Amino acid sequence: MCEWCEKYGDGYERWYFNPANYARRLYKIRKEEAEVSGAEANPQVAGGMSVVGREFLELLDKGEIEEVNKIKQQAEAAAWVTHFGQVITLDEALRLADIMYPISLITCACRRSMGGASNEENFVCMGMGPGMYKWERWPDTYRGGVHFLTPDEAKEVLTKMNKRGLVHTIFTFGTPYFGGLCNCDYPDCAAIRTVVDLGVRILWKGHYVARINEELCNGCASCVHRCQFKALSFVPSRNKAYIDQFQCFGCGNCASECDQEAITLVERASLPALAKVW
Amino acid sequence: MLPTITFNHKKCTDPLSCRKCLFACPTHVLGLGTDVPVQKYRETDPKHFIVAGVRFDKCTGCMDCVEVCPKDAIQVSFSGGI
Repeated sequence: MCEWCEKYGDGYERWYFNPANYARRLYKIRKEEAEVSGAEANPQVAGGMSVVGREFLELLDKGEIEEVNKIKQQAEAAAWVTHFGQVITLDEALRLADIMYPISLITCACRRSMGGASNEENFVCMGMGPGMYKWERWPDTYRGGVHFLTPDEAKEVLTKMNKRGLVHTIFTFGTPYFGGLCNCDYPDCAAIRTVVDLGVRILWKGHYVARINEELCNGCASCVHRCQFKALSFVPSRNKAYIDQFQCFGCGNCASECDQEAITLVERASLPALAKVW
Repeated sequence: MLPTITFNHKKCTDPLSCRKCLFACPTHVLGLGTDVPVQKYRETDPKHFIVAGVRFDKCTGCMDCVEVCPKDAIQVSFSGGI
């Protein structure tokens, strides 16, 4: 159990299974802080949807570790209060489709900013809750509009996106209020690239860790392209896939691709050295 | 080593529909954004869109963005010279 589950789980197995964290009253609290300032979802103001900017990269480049860590901690602390995410598996995402309401398909702000994606090719993000009714008020934030989905339609879309190789992440908008179920990939996703490249944890690892059964792995390597976190590689001398479990975010996308059922997900909490590696 | 990437916004007037440099960059260094905050009840005018460097740590100095720009609006330099 991660510290967010302890804090906001309220008896549920995971904090994102707790329906109270999707409740409208939490959204109202956030509104007073963020919406009035108009600062939300402006890629440029946010530096390409990033929480750290040029100053951080320069300090990193110069090897000023103390200063780097200071900015990192400040950025993380701010993100954890306002807007951050956690990786979830497809099974968990499908379960959420029955909890969140309303559900809508929207365009992804990260890919708009970093990939230059047009609206037509960019409906890969899911938003939920009362925020979705604001799209006419904030057309720039919801560029391309919103498509409202039934839970069954949402499940179909999530399954398709998983097949494409996208990773499901759940995002707070005023923690612990959940407003987004994103479908992400490296490098355009600001959350994935910021945590993978820069170590700033605005995206937490999920509750699972993938592991390989080498006896079952036939070396087909079809799992390798599924990892968006630089945790999965291929060892030619052994003709096996290899998972760096300390780098694994537990999305399960490698496991679902494996025909041999050689990759399984284990509970992060069951591994003493990984139980607190989020 | 981090690059200095500058855009001449007088020349680069409609990056929202151009986006050539975004697609040309092999390491996805550049980002598309606006120079004004989001406003209620209207989409931001395309003339307020700008391109800027974001992932400076991933810039190799290949100059593909400089070459692909139809307006000759991009400059990339490293302090050590290139």
